[in-house]
Amino acid sequence: MSYLYYPGCSGTGTGRECEESIQAVMRTLGVKWTELEDWNCCGAAVATGTSYLLSLALPARNLALSEKVGSDLVTGCSRCYLNLIRAQHYIQHNANLKENVNAVLAEAGIQYSGTAQLRHLLDVIINDVGLDTVAEKVTRPLDGLQVAAYYGCCQGMWTYAQFDSTEDPTCFDRLLAALGAEVVYYPLKQACCGGTLSMSKRSVGASLIGDLLLAAIAAEADCIVTACPLCMFNLNSFQNEAGRAKGTKFNIPVLFVTQLIGLAFGLPPKTLGLQRNIVPPEPLYRKIAAGTAVSSAEAVASGLK
Amino acid sequence: MAVQALAPRSEPVRVMKDPLGNSFEFCYQCGLCTASCRTAFAMKYTPRQVMNLLQLGCEDEAVASGSGLLCTACYSCTFRCPRGVAVTDMMAAVQRRNLASKHADSDIRRFYRSFMRTIERHGRFHEVEFMTRYFLPNPLLLRAEFGVGLHLLTKGKISLNAPGVKNPKAIAAMFRKAEEIEGRP
Repeated sequence: MSYLYYPGCSGTGTGRECEESIQAVMRTLGVKWTELEDWNCCGAAVATGTSYLLSLALPARNLALSEKVGSDLVTGCSRCYLNLIRAQHYIQHNANLKENVNAVLAEAGIQYSGTAQLRHLLDVIINDVGLDTVAEKVTRPLDGLQVAAYYGCCQGMWTYAQFDSTEDPTCFDRLLAALGAEVVYYPLKQACCGGTLSMSKRSVGASLIGDLLLAAIAAEADCIVTACPLCMFNLNSFQNEAGRAKGTKFNIPVLFVTQLIGLAFGLPPKTLGLQRNIVPPEPLYRKIAAGTAVSSAEAVASGLK
Repeated sequence: MAVQALAPRSEPVRVMKDPLGNSFEFCYQCGLCTASCRTAFAMKYTPRQVMNLLQLGCEDEAVASGSGLLCTACYSCTFRCPRGVAVTDMMAAVQRRNLASKHADSDIRRFYRSFMRTIERHGRFHEVEFMTRYFLPNPLLLRAEFGVGLHLLTKGKISLNAPGVKNPKAIAAMFRKAEEIEGRP
C-alpha cells in the first residue's frame, strides 16, 4: 500500500527531530509514501481566531490535492490531523459550507468533493503495519524503561479513526509495550498541553505543561512519549518556566513516538534527530543498554536450562 | 437577535450536524465543558458561563472577558457535550470578536496576525518571518523567549529558508475571498 504524506510546517523547523525520526522509522518498516505535492499550512490552532471559513478552506486545499491523487493522506501531527478531519467532517455534513469552501478554493484553482481518506501516523503503524511487524523489527528491547504514553488532547483522532476508545484509548500503550517498554499509569495522558498558549499566554501555558510533567514524575516515568510535534515542542522547551510555575525543577526527557521506536529498532540516535531534543535523552540510552544487557543475560540463562 | 449578532454571516452555527454541530441554544448548563477544560481555571467566564452569556444575549460581556483567548481548541468539551453543542467553535467565535475589538490584548492580537500574515505570504509557516513580525514591535517579549530561541537555533530547528507553496498568490487570493464571503469578524 502506498500513501501520501503531509509533513506539516513543523517538519522543517521546531519539529525537525519528529520529521527525521518519522522518515527513518517508516523506512525501516517498509512503508512507502510520497510527499503531498505543494501542500500548505493547515492553519494550526490560530486560523480559527481569524476566520472560520479560512480555518476550513486551508486544510481543505490539502484534502483536495490528495483527492486528486487518490491515496490515503497520512500526517504525523495531531493538530494537522485534527484540522484536516474537522474540515473533512464539516464539509461532508454541510452543503452550504462546502459551497463557500469551494468558492475560496476556486481562487487557488482547485475544488474539493469530499472523498479524501485521512490517516494518522499511529493509525498506520498500529493497524496497517501491525504491532507484530513492529515487534519483529525490535533489536534493542526497551526492557526496564518506564515510559508515560502521552496521547495529547486532539481527541478527534480517536473519535474518527474509530479504532480505539475516545475517553480511554490504549493503542499507544500497546505500541510502546510492543517495543518492550513498561508503560506507566498516566492519568493525564489526554490532557491538553496548552497548544499555542505557551507563546501567547505564558503563565497559563507553563502551568498546564507543569501539570503534565509532575504527573509523569509521580508515575515514575523515565520519559514522556508524545505523538504530536506541538506537544513535543511545549513539553521540551518550557520545562524551566513550568518548573517556576510549580515551584520545582524539571529535567525529564520527552521523546517523539518514532524516536523511541527507532531506538528499539537499533537505529542511531542521530538518524532519529535525538541530538536536537532540548532535554538531553542520554540517560535513557544508558537505561536501555542496561535493560538489553539484563534481558540478553536472561535469554542466555534460559537457553542454558 | 443574539445568534446573528455573534456569528459571522457565513457561519452555519444552526445547521451543523451531529456530532460537532449545535448552537449554544442547545446548552442545558450541565458544565461538562468546564469540567473538561484545562484552562477554565484562568478564565473570567468558564465555557459553561460563556454559553450561558450567549444564551442571555450578553455576548459583548463574553467577548470583552477575553475568555475565548484562553481556549486551546483541544475539542474535549465539544466531543463530550451531551447536547452536541460545538462549544469549541463558539469559543472561537467569541475569540475572533475579541481580537477584532478594542478589548484585544495587543500582543496576542499581533501573535495571531503575524502567524496568519506569514501563511498568507508563503502558504506555510516561516519561523523567521513570524518572529520578526511578532517580536519586533515589543522586544520585551523577545527577552522572555531568549532561552528557547537560543535552543532552537543551536539545535538547527529554525529554518532560514523554509520553502513555501509554489504559488503563494493563490493562497493570498483565498484569504481575500474568505474575507469577502464572511466579512471582517
